[in-house]
Amino acid sequence: MRHFLRIFLSRPIPLAGLAIFAVIVALALLAPLLFARGPFIIVGMPLLPPGAPGLLAGSDVLGRDMAVGLAYGARISLLVGITSTLGAVGIGVLLGAVAGYYGGWLDDLLMRVTEFFQIIPNFVLLMVLVAFLQPSLSSTVIGIALVTWPQVARVVRGEFLSLRGREFVQAARTLGMRDGAIIFTQILPNALPPIIVVGSMMVGSAILTESALSFLGLSDPNLLSWGSMIGGSRSAMWVAWWTTVLPGLAIMITVLALNFIGDGLNDALNPRRRR
Amino acid sequence: MNRLSYIGARLIKTVLVALTVVLLSFFLVRLAPGDTATVMAGQAGFADEAFMKSLRAEYGLDQPVPVQLWKYLSAVAKGDLGSSFVRRQPVLDVILERLPNTLLLNGFALLVAIAGGVAMGMMAARRPGSAMDASMTVLSMVFYAMPQFWLGMMAMLMFSVWLGWLPPFGLETMGADYTGLARIGDIAVHMILPGVTLALYFMASYARLTRTAMIEVADQDFVKTARAKGLREGQVARRHILRNALIPLITFAGLQSAILVGGSVLVENVFSWPGIGTLAYEAVTTRDNPLLLGIFIVTAVLVGLFNLATDIAYSIADPRVELGR
Amino acid sequence: MEPLIAIQDLVVALPPGADRAHAVDRVSLTINPNEILCILGESGSGKSLTAHAVMGLLPRGVSASSGHIRFGGTDLLALPPSGLRKLRGRDIAMIFQDPMAALNPVITIGRQITEQIRAHRTLPQKEALALAAGLLAEMGLKDPKALLKSFPHQLSGGQRQRVMIAMALSLSPKLLIADEPTTALDVTTQAQILKLIKRIQAEREMSVLLITHDFGVVADMADSVAVMRYGRVVESGATNDVLGNPSHDYTRALIAAVPRGESRLPPPAEGQPLVQVKGLTKRFSRGGFFSRAPAIVALDDISLSLSRGETLGVVGESGSGKSTLARCVIRLLDPDAGEVLLEEADIAHMRRSALRPLRRRIQMVFQDPFSSLNPRQTVGDILIAGPKAYGEDLKEARRRAADMLSLVGLSPQCLNRLPHEFSGGQRQRIGLARALMLKPEVLIADEPVSALDVTVQAKVLKLLDDVRRQMNLAMLFITHDMRVAAEICHRVMVMRHGRIVEQGPTKDVFAAPSSDYTKALLAAIPGRQAR
Repeated sequence: MRHFLRIFLSRPIPLAGLAIFAVIVALALLAPLLFARGPFIIVGMPLLPPGAPGLLAGSDVLGRDMAVGLAYGARISLLVGITSTLGAVGIGVLLGAVAGYYGGWLDDLLMRVTEFFQIIPNFVLLMVLVAFLQPSLSSTVIGIALVTWPQVARVVRGEFLSLRGREFVQAARTLGMRDGAIIFTQILPNALPPIIVVGSMMVGSAILTESALSFLGLSDPNLLSWGSMIGGSRSAMWVAWWTTVLPGLAIMITVLALNFIGDGLNDALNPRRRR
Repeated sequence: MNRLSYIGARLIKTVLVALTVVLLSFFLVRLAPGDTATVMAGQAGFADEAFMKSLRAEYGLDQPVPVQLWKYLSAVAKGDLGSSFVRRQPVLDVILERLPNTLLLNGFALLVAIAGGVAMGMMAARRPGSAMDASMTVLSMVFYAMPQFWLGMMAMLMFSVWLGWLPPFGLETMGADYTGLARIGDIAVHMILPGVTLALYFMASYARLTRTAMIEVADQDFVKTARAKGLREGQVARRHILRNALIPLITFAGLQSAILVGGSVLVENVFSWPGIGTLAYEAVTTRDNPLLLGIFIVTAVLVGLFNLATDIAYSIADPRVELGR
Repeated sequence: MEPLIAIQDLVVALPPGADRAHAVDRVSLTINPNEILCILGESGSGKSLTAHAVMGLLPRGVSASSGHIRFGGTDLLALPPSGLRKLRGRDIAMIFQDPMAALNPVITIGRQITEQIRAHRTLPQKEALALAAGLLAEMGLKDPKALLKSFPHQLSGGQRQRVMIAMALSLSPKLLIADEPTTALDVTTQAQILKLIKRIQAEREMSVLLITHDFGVVADMADSVAVMRYGRVVESGATNDVLGNPSHDYTRALIAAVPRGESRLPPPAEGQPLVQVKGLTKRFSRGGFFSRAPAIVALDDISLSLSRGETLGVVGESGSGKSTLARCVIRLLDPDAGEVLLEEADIAHMRRSALRPLRRRIQMVFQDPFSSLNPRQTVGDILIAGPKAYGEDLKEARRRAADMLSLVGLSPQCLNRLPHEFSGGQRQRIGLARALMLKPEVLIADEPVSALDVTVQAKVLKLLDDVRRQMNLAMLFITHDMRVAAEICHRVMVMRHGRIVEQGPTKDVFAAPSSDYTKALLAAIPGRQAR
């Protein structure tokens, strides 16, 4: 553990990512305290540029405070990103572990299912799911989790398949360990590194996916997210660049920070000391 | 297993998979509360029961589900994908009208992504850990982190609005009625912005993959042998390292087959490119089930064919692989 | 006589963070024309890096920081890369340990050979191919024309190494460097390749620098030998001198550690067999659903018996089925037919629930010290895992674990350490301790010393033998090395292609083998001729 932290914290890129992400999390958590009235309140004339009195980031097409919108948008992005990833990882690890360990028809079944998800364009499937479950926060989270768990399952299955043949797992079987104990105490701890790396990257892509859905108007109409901010200001793009540029930058910086963290995790967890 | 029988087996498998897709989508689509009749009635402004009943009868929506399914399957087998509720045109026609545009755009984007990505990856792999390597990595990570639709809008803002170099919308200039070479040129110019936007996102993946593959291959024994034989570094890089590093790239390209058809929904939306992506969005929001199902089926078949092509390419590139495993 | 290569005070530095500052520490060696020099050493001795330094093929991050390597008037370490490139493949050639990894998997054999030829000579492809065919024939390969069009994965290990040698000789180099060229090959193939190298050396009057860890190979092949340890040359000279009259302690220890290949154990007392295997058969199917390829028969009607207090050796090359046999006996694999009787109970086809209580009576020591211990568990947890699975009291188990560690020669303080802190030999001891924790009656040792250095090997073998005697175990000992079998087994069983070819008391089988295959295996033992 100490070894891992030493490597992870020693490189500038993951450190920067961690710092940026921490700022965004703080912003998201503090939003209701800082901006108690919420992002839908109209505070002035529409399309005022950043730097206008009292408006750090300007106002949008309806005259709402962009800065408040950005802060509240962070809450949605992080919430959706993290919960949907947790869901996808939960499902993926469970199914992938069982398929990878027991093999046989269970594995075949899982492979067919993941193939199905590879054939259907994921985003179209997601649109269908969200539209048909009625767009809301929970349908977004469920939809993204349902569409992305196969990625995790494939990685977990691969890890379990290869670890199952390792001699220390064979030894555990000869020692009389039961299957459950072998899966949880022997294989899973050794399979964690790639799962953690994939998971951290997935939070970033879940945030991107959520923003795409809300851009297209397929998300909870009662919640303001960065994507819906961009979608709502398409008509004003030519004259008020801040209405689209700022939310987009917010998305990009958040996802970039997460990817930096993921990259750092990858290096720290992989014992390849070759340079 | 020889190649011909393998191709035959795969084609059968593609059909089976398409069938599964049809079945699953058919039921998926029926999960939604409310159906096309409700949506259409809403759009028309009428909400009365009698009108909706007549709509349902007209489209066969009042029949029991197994009957609907059977009717649909037998129609599909004959190549009839039904009629779009909203557009009142045969689904197949609507799809075929839009499909080439998407394939053109996505194909262009993938080519640019692969060419650019491999070049970037090769440059980064030449000296791992160097400034060039780190900057390539960060650059590709930046593109990977941008929302596609936003990148498209930014590109549009810069190149269409501010600089005026490229057209912002559509497949071709409206009302200009170009033909022949001029038309091709016109479409090509319209394709640049959306195509490059799409490509930048994929380029990041290809760059990382190429870099990792080349670094791993460079450490293998046969590269040492190549040097021990007295080959020039350039020959070693091309004939030994790159040749072997391309193999995982082909696998990855195969995994992206679904993207070829459905991965451009956002970019098409932003640039008003008349393709399958915008068609799918339309079908989802108007609950146009036949159209949606039709899109799924066509996608499944195309992806199956494309996967087959990549598998064959893979078996040619890597002689260790036996088709039919 | 003017030496062909003179290495003077070579120092090769390792990147910071390695366990030593230098991989090669002021090494001086000479190779004369028309002679075979062996560098002998265990892992980490720097022998391989010395050879790589001559070719300028040191890995990234490792470089020669000082010294000279003189070859015909030029200092190789001072040459620019272009000059070195011209020498490689033409004046000095090198072959490596694993021929499968050393050949490009996607280019045909023919093109790989002609590539080298045409890198140094202008020759049309057709003529280069003809040259290549001639070389392959010279190496004893049949049907060279077909081989030229094949890919490496279609050839056997021995064929691949012959191709590598052919490639190396294609421009008639003055020096051939061979880095452990036979370690990855089967025993019988090893002998053939070594004979080949000796023949071509004599025919072409070439010099050979042969890296090896096996003293038997030195005895068979070398004119001179240099013994290396921790990056230094400990002793060097003519082979007969060094072997017959070693002056350094380490050389003496190395020679003493090599198993003789002569059985010292008395034939076992006839006792009631504890384990009886009857008609054991195991098939592996090939390919997926559509495949019509015939199944591989890994075990074909195997029968054996094993009594308490005796060690039965199962000897065979790769693909003989010896590992499959071990795994079937311990029920890691389910056999297709036959019985495995543990004192009347047939464990081969038992249901898992009935099998569980019997499992503790048979335990296994595995081959690879680097993958047989869970890298994320402490030694203590690894050792008590077995007792824990059977519901024993954990405190009691930990106490026994400490005792067990002492039994295998490790300090009880190791309980809290992680596997990566231990060496290969120490890890095998931990693996043995783990197996003994359940107080088994039968111990299966699957190539337990194959991955260990010779000096460590000898100690672990002695430990296994002591434990067997102390605990009156019935031991099934799997190995590919006849010499090791002779050292520790009362009876020996030779397997080939899933069948038993010969079995009997070790002394008898070694002194008077009845099957041709056993005779070939014995003849292939390096060093046997020289004695």
